[in-house]
Parts: sequence; structure tokens; C-alpha cells
Amino acid sequence: MDARLRRVNKEIADCKNDTTSNIKIELVGDTPFHLKGSFPGPEGTPYEGGHFEVDIVIPEQYPFSPVKMKFMTKVYHPNVSSASGAICLDILKDAWSPVLTLKSTLISLQSLLCSPEPNDPQDAEVAKHYTTSKASFEETAAYWTQIYAGGPGKKTSSANSAPVRDEIAMAGLERAHVDQFEALGFERTKVIEVLRRLNYRGANVASISEDKVVEELLR
Amino acid sequence: MDMDNEDFKVPIKEKKKAYEVDFTSLSQTAIEKMMDSELEHIAGIFGVDRDTAALLLRHLQWNKERLIEKYMDNASSVSIDAGISSPSTSTSSPTIPSAPGPSRRTTSRSSTKVLGPSPSTSKQRRTPPPAKKYTPSATSFTCHICFDDSPSLKTRALGCEHTFCLGCWVDYLGSRIRDEQELVIPCMAESCALRAPDSFVRAILVPDAGSPEAKSMTPEEKAAGQKLWERFGELGVRDFVGANKALKYCPYPACTNTVSCPSASTKASLTRIVPIVTCGARGIPQTSQSPSSSSSSPALNPYAAGGGSSDNTTLDTAASKEHVYCFGCPVESDHRPVVCGVARMWLKKCADDSETANWIKSNTKECPICQSTIEKNGGCNHMTCKKCKHEFCWVCMGPWTEHGTQWYSCNRYEEKAGIDARDQQSQSRASLERYLHYYNRWANHEQSSKLSLDLYAKTEKKMESLQSSSALTWIEVQFMRKAVDQAVRCRRTLQWTYAMGYFLENDNMKELFEANQRDLERSVEELSELLEGPVPVDKEGIGVLRQKVTDKTVYVQMRNEVMLEDTANGLVEGRWKWNAPVEGFSYEEDGDVDVLP
Ligand SMILES: [Zn+2]
Ligand SMILES: [Zn+2]
Ligand SMILES: [Zn+2]
Ligand SMILES: [Zn+2]
Ligand SMILES: [Zn+2]
Ligand SMILES: [Zn+2]
Repeated sequence: MDARLRRVNKEIADCKNDTTSNIKIELVGDTPFHLKGSFPGPEGTPYEGGHFEVDIVIPEQYPFSPVKMKFMTKVYHPNVSSASGAICLDILKDAWSPVLTLKSTLISLQSLLCSPEPNDPQDAEVAKHYTTSKASFEETAAYWTQIYAGGPGKKTSSANSAPVRDEIAMAGLERAHVDQFEALGFERTKVIEVLRRLNYRGANVASISEDKVVEELLR
Repeated sequence: MDMDNEDFKVPIKEKKKAYEVDFTSLSQTAIEKMMDSELEHIAGIFGVDRDTAALLLRHLQWNKERLIEKYMDNASSVSIDAGISSPSTSTSSPTIPSAPGPSRRTTSRSSTKVLGPSPSTSKQRRTPPPAKKYTPSATSFTCHICFDDSPSLKTRALGCEHTFCLGCWVDYLGSRIRDEQELVIPCMAESCALRAPDSFVRAILVPDAGSPEAKSMTPEEKAAGQKLWERFGELGVRDFVGANKALKYCPYPACTNTVSCPSASTKASLTRIVPIVTCGARGIPQTSQSPSSSSSSPALNPYAAGGGSSDNTTLDTAASKEHVYCFGCPVESDHRPVVCGVARMWLKKCADDSETANWIKSNTKECPICQSTIEKNGGCNHMTCKKCKHEFCWVCMGPWTEHGTQWYSCNRYEEKAGIDARDQQSQSRASLERYLHYYNRWANHEQSSKLSLDLYAKTEKKMESLQSSSALTWIEVQFMRKAVDQAVRCRRTLQWTYAMGYFLENDNMKELFEANQRDLERSVEELSELLEGPVPVDKEGIGVLRQKVTDKTVYVQMRNEVMLEDTANGLVEGRWKWNAPVEGFSYEEDGDVDVLP
């Protein structure tokens, strides 16, 4: 049997038999070369309670070239693209070693959720949010976990309906700020986009003039 | 590096012309000898084996002085960085795959033990590693990459004793060498920075004949291993050549030669010479074809890589041409007479303005008299309208009659008088017009070369039939081929003179330059016109044409020599003043351009 196939099959079987870890790997199609991995968000983080799914593609040269992984579940994290789910992690690139496995790589992703590295960002806007105000960042990340990863949320709204997406919370902005510029006659989505791009949060609010925001809104 | 070793020099030709540079072509074997003597030197000084010396030298880009300095200062730290030994106490011990932890690569540098390829002559003692992570026990070993656990499994490990099966090592080497073109082969274990020395790679890919490993390999596996080992050798040569400013690897596909050209190894030297070199090889190795003089049907196929049945004799521009390239810059063609810096600026300018200039490349224009569409189908610029018989110049659209005697202002951009310098718009229009003047002529010569070759392919058929009908020998009909060859060569010179002219300051020197350019251009056009005229059908007629073409070819060649010699001398004398800052040239406050010392 082909060595790559043997290895991947064994990895999948080992993961199934391992009852201690909470990492899951499932087949997507007929071949074991396209897989779906999943794990729970780590406790004590804004991702707690969420269920995160990862798209896994085994390249031709596996395990001598790194496995390709990206988040299928949307994640608000400095090292994960909020749009595409692309992940910035050294072991998925130069620091890959053929002894690493799908499971160990997924565990590394899980631990990446615990310890963001904003200095090596995949998503610059999210990274800026993280460095400007960690509390506000965590609130937004938890909100994303609730919306996209089935997280618990704050349970304020009535129980049975699906949570309504709040675009302001999604962008990690203050409602008062958005209202302020919306009152000037700009569209809400435009206001959110600009404030998000300008990182209009925390201490930054004092240093960004209203004129500057309006200028950006008019562009 | 010691480049003066006479053993390695294979002189191609003596320097004789101002526009030529001294260079030597070196085969891969010659470079390997040079590398060997560097390795011997370092191995001798440090008392280490050649494997270790190679890892050290590659790590410091073959800078021997720096290596010696650093090694004397702190040998163990250099050895760790070069992947020869591991830090002895490591906080990030390689993880065992059965119990993987979340990991990001961390490196810790502390005191070391030499674990690497054991230096045979060294006083350093190889100490056992702190823990045997993957060492196979007598009872069972499972390769942590392929999960194979058969008892007959052959294994290999570097000095770190991270052990994997032989099959995985072979696959890994293939992935590094063939797919990633990497000379550096780190240990497969996570976070282990040890690098495989050459002898380790060799023993896996091409085991000694007679060894159990060699015996268990299939012929296919042996061939694949041999190929990888050869590629590994090539990567080693490229690494060495890349680190030496006096050497440059041949850019032609699959060529493994190197050119040594010490006179062009500094930035400053590139302001005085245009180092066009050849590696000594011809064609593309896989499809190499030797010109056969006995062939009676030399066919022309300038851009095909061969394979055709009659494709065994070709022009200078054909697939079997010499590997000509510039030592000083990435331009893969002969850009004489213009210096590298200016050639680069010109190509950038062309790329930036390609859309504006696109229309010029079109093959059709309108007759200036009757506006009927005229298609250019030869290299000659002398156009005759089929409808009204008006004769004009393709390049400037002026009447041809004036070109016949004087070539009037066809090569020269006349700065239009009366431009209001403060009028931004007219100025930018003027600068575009100026650019288009030069670009037009540049593109035209390129196009004419191609068309000349196309046309020659047709002419050649005529010559062939003539050869059979009029009892001419194959040699006797060769004058056309030589003439086309020469015309193409001169048009390449002319092309680059327009790049040079665009950046030349308007002064007396430029006027002399343009006079040479004009003379060359006129003679090339005259030659092209002869080549495109009707081919006589009788032996006498051929004789007359042959004389005319041969005379013109000799004259054209002479004009080309004058052009190249004069521009090359001008570079050495610092005669050319540029109208824009050119890399390597310095500018004084009064605007004069001086060559850096
Ligand atoms: Zn190792
Ligand atoms: Zn193996
Ligand atoms: Zn070559
Ligand atoms: Zn050059
Ligand atoms: Zn006409
Ligand atoms: Zn003209």
C-alpha cells in the first residue's frame, strides 16, 4: 500500500481510538486526503463553548510537506483570517516536521486560540483590535463564537430563537460611536466598515478626529 | 576565494576588442574542484572532516574569513547555527508523535555537545545524546513517519539519533532536493536543527555497490537515487557560485556551466564594460543537435527547440546558438552597447509604457498618400504602396527618396523648438513623443529581425530548388544565410543603441554616436532590401546577387564593429553623459556624471 495512504489511515484510526482527547477527524469524501477536523474551543477563552471545524487537505508529498488546514468556522482571532479562515502558524509552513500528525497539528490550532500572536498576524484589523483593547477584542471574539461556533453567548435574549446578528458587536465597535456617525446621515454598514478599518476603539477614539472619520466616510 | 588557480581556467578566446570582456567558462567539475580546495583548506585549519567544513562554509555563504573569525571566537555556537551539533540542554526536546503537544518552534541556545557528523581528526569527543528519542530497541521499532514496524526495517539517524526508516529518508530527500530545490536537509524530527552532511545524503541515495542497501534497490530506485544525488551536486555548485561575485551560473535551461568574469564583479565595473559572456555550451542539452555540413537541406527554425527531421543547421539566433548572456544583469541577451544600468532602465520604461506604445507594434500602417492599409512582411523599411506606388519609410512615414541619400532624420529625435517649458501638458506630450521616437525604432528593429528570419525561410526554399536546377553547390548558396545572420546581429546592436540614445545627454558626443548609428542603420536597411529583392532564376543572376550581398554583408559587419568599438571606448573614457541618474554612476553638483572609482 502507498505509504501516504497507510499513514493517513493510521492517523485517522488512532484519533478515533483515542478517547482522552476531544479532537475529531472525519472523511469528507471517498478518499482520506480531504478531511474535516474539529475541536471544542479552549476553556477560559472567548472561544469556550464553541465547536470549531477545520478543512484539511493532505498534499501529495505528505508527510514531507505540511498538511493544508484552514478554519471552516469563522473565528475572530489575530492569526486567522476573518474572511477566509486562513491560518498563520509556523508549523503549517517552515517549521513543519514529518513527525507532526493531523492530531498534533489540530491540538496546536486549539492552543493557538489560547495564545494569539498579534505580532505575526494573519488578519491585521483583528490584530489591531487585540492590541488596542483586549477586553473589547475578547467580547467580539466571544460574540463570533456565539454566532458562528454555536457558543453559549450571554443568554440575554429569549431562548428559542436563533441569535440575531448584531453587526456592531460583530465588528467590535461601540453602539454609541456608530449611532453618532449614522446621525450625520451615513449608512450604518458604511459607518461600521470605516470605524472598523480605522480601529475606532478604546484609547484610539480620542486620537482620531471626527473630521478624519467623516473624510473617510466621504471617500 | 582563490580564483587564480590556473588548473581551472579554460580560456575561450583572447581578448581582442574593446567591446569584449575577458572571461573563462567553467564546467561543473571545475567548480567542484574549486569547492574541494576550499573545503580542504577549512578542514585543515579547523581539524574537522569535509562534511563539517561544507556545512560551515555553506552556512556562512563561503566567506572563509568570516567563518574563521567566528569559529575562532566561538566554535560551538557556529556549529549549532550551521546544524552540525545540537544544544546540549534543550527545553524544546523533540516531541514523540504518540504524545504530541501543541507546539511552536522554539530555539534555545546554550552550551553544546558535538553530536553531528563525527569530526574524525578533531579533539572533540562525540558524546551520547541526552535521551534516545526514536532509537529502535531490539524488540520493536516503529517509524514515526510511516508507522511501519516490520522487524526487517532499515533505519537511519543523524548525530541526534532521531531514527527513521530508510524509505522515509529517501522520500524526504526527494521532497527536499527535487521539489524544494534545497541543499539544506534538516533532521526530520520536530525542532531538531541538525543538518544532514553530504556523506549521509550520499549513502542513502547512492549506496556503495555491493552494500546490502545497494543490493536491495531496484534498478529504478537506483536511477532515481542517482538523479537526486546529481541534482544535489548541482545545488551545491549553485550555492557556491551564488556566493561568489566573480562567478555566474549559466541561465540557460538545464545548463550546468559557470562563467568566471572577475573584471565585472563590482558595481563600479559595470559602468565601464558590458560583460556579455558565453558559457561555451550551445543549445538546450536534451535536444542538442550538431550542425551537419553534409546536409543539403538546412532548414530554419529559429525558436523551436529541435526535433524536426531537417532541423540540424540553424542560424545564430536558433535553438542551437551559443549560451550568450550578460554577466552583470539578468538580461538574457546581448545588450551591447548599452551598460547594464541603462538597459535595465530602458526595459523598465518599456514595461511601464507598454500600453501607450502598443499600437506601434502593429504590423499594419496606412499609406501616407492614399491611406490604404499596408502590411509589413519583411525586415526592410522601404515600403511601396501597392495601390498608389508611393515609396515611404516604415519608421518615420517620410518619403523614401530622402532616405536614399541622407537617411535624413530617421534615427534622430529632433527636440522640437518653441515648446513652452511651463506648459505642463505640452511638455508631457513632448516627452511621450520623444519616448515613442526611440521605442518605435527599438521595436522596429526587433520586429525586422523576426521578419528577416521568416523571409529567409522562404528564400531558402527558392535557393534549394535553384541549387538542384542550376548546378550550384550548397556552399555557393550560403551567402544568403550569412547575410541574414549578420543583419539580425546588427539589428540587435541597433535596438540597444536606441535604448542608449534615449538616455544620452544631448551633446557633441551624442551627435557622433548618432552618426555611427545612422551609418549602421542605413547599411543594414540596404542589406535587408537586397535580401528581400527578387531572387534571380539563372546562374549568372545568382552570381551578381551573391557578389552584391557579400560585399554589403562585409560592409555592414564593419559598421557594426565601429559602432560597438566606439561605444565601448566611450564607456572606458567616461565620454557618455546620461540624462537621468544611472546606478553606479555618481553625479556632481554641476550635473557632470562621473564614474565611481
Ligand atoms: Zn534530529
Ligand atoms: Zn518510515
Ligand atoms: Zn550554458
Ligand atoms: Zn547586463
Ligand atoms: Zn498609397
Ligand atoms: Zn524614416
